[in-house]
Amino acid sequence: MGLLLLKRLLRSLWRTRLRLVAVVLLVAIGVFAGVSFGAYGKTASTIYASIYSDTDDGVNLPDLWIESAGGAPWGEEQASNFCGELRASWNDLSGGLAACEPRLKVDGVMFWDDESGEPSVVSAIWHGIDEGEVHRVWMPEHEFVSGRLAAANDEVVIDSHAASMMEISVGDEVEIGAGSGRMTFSVVGVAFHADHLYFALPGSIMPATAGTFVTGYLTDEGLERLGGYSQGDANYLLLDIEGTPAYDLLSTEINEGEQLNTVLEGIRDEFGEPYGAMVYDRSGVESVEFLRADSEGAEKSYPVVTGMLAIVAGITIFLSLQRLILSQQREIAILRTLGVPKGSIMPGFILAPIVLGLIGVILGAILGLYVGAPMMMGVFEEMLGLPVVVGLSDFSFVWVNCSVAMVIAALSGIRPAFIAARLQPLEVLRSEHSVKLSYRWLQRFTHKLPPALALSLRSTIRKPMRLMFTFMGVGLSMLIFGSMQMMMDSIEDVTLGGMDRNIGWTAQVALGNQGDAPVVAWATDNNVEYERSIQLPFSVVGENKQLVATGLDQFSTDLDGSLSAITLSVGEMPAVSSTPLEVLVDEGTAHFLGWEVGSLGTVGFGASEVDVSVSGITTGEMARTMYFHRSDLEEVTGIPATSVLLAIPEGLDFSQDLGALSVGITEISGLRETFTTLMNQQQQFFNAILFLGVLIAIVVLFNTLLMNLSERDLELATLRVLGASIWRLGSMLLVEHLIIGVVGGILGAFISLYGAQAMIASSVQWAFFFKIEPNWTIIYSLITTVVVISVALVPFGMWRISKMELVEKVKTLG
Amino acid sequence: MPLFEISNLKRHYEMASGAVKALDGVDLVVEPGERIVLLGPSGSGKTTLLNCIAALDIPTDGGYTFESEPVPAKGSEKMTSFRRANIGYVFQFFNLLQDLTVLENILLIQELSGGRDVERAMDLLKLVGLSEEVNRFPSEISGGQQQRVAIARSLAKSPKLLLGDELTGNLDSETSSMVMEALIRACEAEQITTIMVTHDESMKKYATRLIRMDSGRIVSDERL
Repeated sequence: MGLLLLKRLLRSLWRTRLRLVAVVLLVAIGVFAGVSFGAYGKTASTIYASIYSDTDDGVNLPDLWIESAGGAPWGEEQASNFCGELRASWNDLSGGLAACEPRLKVDGVMFWDDESGEPSVVSAIWHGIDEGEVHRVWMPEHEFVSGRLAAANDEVVIDSHAASMMEISVGDEVEIGAGSGRMTFSVVGVAFHADHLYFALPGSIMPATAGTFVTGYLTDEGLERLGGYSQGDANYLLLDIEGTPAYDLLSTEINEGEQLNTVLEGIRDEFGEPYGAMVYDRSGVESVEFLRADSEGAEKSYPVVTGMLAIVAGITIFLSLQRLILSQQREIAILRTLGVPKGSIMPGFILAPIVLGLIGVILGAILGLYVGAPMMMGVFEEMLGLPVVVGLSDFSFVWVNCSVAMVIAALSGIRPAFIAARLQPLEVLRSEHSVKLSYRWLQRFTHKLPPALALSLRSTIRKPMRLMFTFMGVGLSMLIFGSMQMMMDSIEDVTLGGMDRNIGWTAQVALGNQGDAPVVAWATDNNVEYERSIQLPFSVVGENKQLVATGLDQFSTDLDGSLSAITLSVGEMPAVSSTPLEVLVDEGTAHFLGWEVGSLGTVGFGASEVDVSVSGITTGEMARTMYFHRSDLEEVTGIPATSVLLAIPEGLDFSQDLGALSVGITEISGLRETFTTLMNQQQQFFNAILFLGVLIAIVVLFNTLLMNLSERDLELATLRVLGASIWRLGSMLLVEHLIIGVVGGILGAFISLYGAQAMIASSVQWAFFFKIEPNWTIIYSLITTVVVISVALVPFGMWRISKMELVEKVKTLG
Repeated sequence: MPLFEISNLKRHYEMASGAVKALDGVDLVVEPGERIVLLGPSGSGKTTLLNCIAALDIPTDGGYTFESEPVPAKGSEKMTSFRRANIGYVFQFFNLLQDLTVLENILLIQELSGGRDVERAMDLLKLVGLSEEVNRFPSEISGGQQQRVAIARSLAKSPKLLLGDELTGNLDSETSSMVMEALIRACEAEQITTIMVTHDESMKKYATRLIRMDSGRIVSDERL
C-alpha cells in the first residue's frame, strides 16, 4: 500500500513538474555556488601552505620578522651580532631557532616606457636575495615563471605579476634605481615572492595595475650596488623557527600563537631599543595576511551561501507541498475515511523533498566540482595572478555543502507531512468547497473600492503565510545580488569617491636618502603647492596588529585647507604638540581596538613608545590608519618626512626630475585608473552574481504566483464562464502582482540592506574593513527589479487562464 | 424571430476506445421567453448541449445561430464576448466569489461588462428575496441563499438567455423549490429565456417546454 500511495503522490507531483524543476534548480544552484566558493577557499589555503612550506617546492616563509625602524640598515657586523645575541638568548617555548637571516629590502624605482611610449617612473621594491635559507624566491614549474635566480650583481629577477603586466621577459634589460642613480640590470628570471603574492602597493589592498608597481629580486651585491649600501647591510632579520609554530590570527578573538607571542614580546623587550627594531609575525606581512583573510573568507562564506540558497529552496518546497496538500485534501480525506493510517500518508510527504533535494544536491555538486571549481581557479589565476600548482585533496567542503542543503530540504517537508497526516476526513469533506476568507479588517478597508480591485487585494492577502515566505525568499535572493551591488558601491565610494573628496595632490613623491629638501626645492622653484607627509608602519603596544601612521602638515575636512583632506565621522581634529599626542584613528581601527573619542593608548615605533589620545574617528579608509600631526610624528620618530605631496599643474613635466630625487612617484591619475580598471575587471564577476540573484528571485516569485493562480482556478474559470475577458482578468492579475512586487520589493530591499550590513560586519577583518551605507539608488533599483519580475509574470498568468479548459472546469463547477 | 436555432449539432470526442458521440445531430429552435427543462439520464448529452449553447464548447459539426447571427465557434475571446453579451450561467455549486459580499458579487459581473449599477443590483437581490443579506459573505449564508445570489448574479448583465446546469442538484427539496420560484420570478420579470439541465423529474413543473435527451439526441420535445 505504501508503494501505491507513494506512486499516487509522485504522479500528483509530476503534474506540477515545472515547480519541481524550479525547486531542484534552486537546490542545485545553492550547492553549486557553495562548492565553487569552497573549492576556491580550500585550494587557496592549500596553495599558500604549499608555497610557505620549508620544502624543495616551498619558500620557507619566516615565522618572525625583525625590521629596522625607519628602514635604515644595520651594518654587516651589527646584523651578525644581532643574530648571535638572538641565538644566545633564544626562548625555545615556541620551538628552536632554525635560521636567522639578514636581508636587505629597499624602496626604489624602475624607469619604464609605458604602452604609449611615454617614459614613466614606476614605484618599486627591490630585494637582495641569494639562495637564502628562508623567504626564498618562488619559482614553480609553471608558464608564469621562467629563467633562474640572479647570480651576478647586474642581474635581476622581476616579479611575475609585474613582468606580465609590463611585458618584461627574460633577456630584457631594465633601468632601475634605489636612491643612488639609475642602473641597467639584465632580467634573468621571472618569479614570485611571498611578500608580493598579493601584488599591491604597500598599504593598499587594491591590486596594482600595469606601470604602477614592480618588485624584483637581486643578489645581495646587486642591491648594495644599486642603493649605494655597504657589503652585508641589512634592514631585516628573518627568523625561521623549527616546526613553524602557530601565530595569532587577526580575524579571531582568541590568540592562537600564545607561545610565539611570548617569544616575540621577549625579542621586542630585549632588542627593540638597542637595535631600533620592530618585531612581528606573519600577520604583520600585508600580502600573507591579505591572502590568508581572502581564503578564510571564502571558506567561511561557502556554507552561508549554500545555506541561504537552500533556505530559499526549502521555502519553495514547503509552499509547494502545502499547496499540493490543499489540492489533495479531498483525496487524502477519502483515503483516511477508507482506513489508511496517518503513518502511511506521512512518508510520501517526507520523502518527496528528500528526493528533490538529493537530485538538486547531486546536480549542484557535479556542476560545482567540474564547472564551478575550475572556473573559480581560473578567477584565482587571473585576478591574483598566482599559479594553481596544487590540486584539491580535501573535499570535506563538498560534504558540508551537500549536508546543509539536504538537511534544509528534508526539514521543509516535515510540517507539510504532519499537516497531511492530521487532516480530519469529516472536516475536509464538509468544508471542501469553502475557501479561507481574507481578514475582516481588510474587508472593511476595501469595501468601498470597486469589486474587481477589492477582489485583487483580498485574494493577494488570503494566504499571509505563503506571502510572508515568498517575501523571505525574495529577500534572501535579493540579499545575494543586493549585497554585491551595495558592496561594490561602497568600495567604489571609498576608493574613487574618496579620491575625489579627499585627494588634492597630483603626485606623491617617496623620499630616498636625500630626504625632502631637493623635492621641496623643486616644488618651490616650479611654484608647485606641496605638503610633506610621513607614512610609517607601527603597532599599538599590547596588540599584535600593524597600522600605518600618517603624519600630515595640515588637517582639514575639505581640500581648501589641505592637499589631503579627512572625512571625520565623529570627534574633532587633533591639536598639535599636545600631551598625550592627539590623533585620529580610522573607524576600522576604532572598531577592532574598541577605541572611541577620548580613548588613550600607547603606540610603538621601533624602540620608541608614545602615549596617544583619540580626538576623532575618520571614515573612508580601507587600511588601518592613525593620523598624527607631522611635526609630532617627526619628534617621535626622528623622520621629518617619507613623502611629499605635490599639486602639480597640468602640463608641467616632472617625472624625470623628480624620479632622480626620489625612490618612487605615485600619480593620482594612475591610482584612479587602477581602481577604475579593477572595478571594471570585477564587473563580470559582479554581473554573474547579479544574474544568479535575479534568477532566484524570478523562480521564487514565479512559484508563488503560479500557486496563487492554480488556487484560484475555480474563481477564474467562473469569471471566464460568466464572460470576463482575458484583459479584464489580466488587469486584476496586474494589480495583485504589483502589490506583491512592491511590498516584496520593499521588504526585500531592506532585508538586503540589513543583511548585507550584518554579513560584512561578521566578515570584516583587521586587514579589510569597511561598512555598507544605504544607497537609495540601489534600494530603488532592487525594488524596481522585483516589481518588474512580478509584473512580467502577468502575461504568463493570462496565457494560463486563456488556455484553461473551461469545459472540464464547468464539469467541476457544475 | 427565434432566440436561437441549432441544426444537426454534433459533438464527438475521440477517446482511446473510439469516438464518443456526446451529441449526435441535435435540432432545436428556442423562442424568446421560453422556460425549458432539459431532462435525461447521465451521459445523455444534456450538459454537452448546454456547453455548446453557452459557447463554452465547440461543436464538431452543425449550425448554431443566435438572433439569426452565427455564434463564434473558434477564438476563445470571441466566444467569451458572445457569452458576456448574451448568456447568464448558474452553476450547481453556486461558485460565488468568497472574498466578495453578496452585493459585490453582483457588482463585479456588472463591472466586467463595463457598467456598475448599485440600484439594479439591489433590485435583483430584492427579486430573489435577499435584500437583507447584501453585506454578508457567501460563507455566512445558506446554500439556497447562495444559489439565489448566483441567480441574481447571472441576471446582472441582463442576458438574453440564462442557463443552469443542475442548479438545484446540491439543495434539498424545500430549498430547491424556493430557488426555482426565485428563478422563475426573476426571469419573468426580466423577460429572460431559460434552459435548465436536470435529471430531477420534479423540475418539469417549472417548465413551459420539456425536452428529453438520450444518447446524444433529443427524443421528445413537449410544450407544457
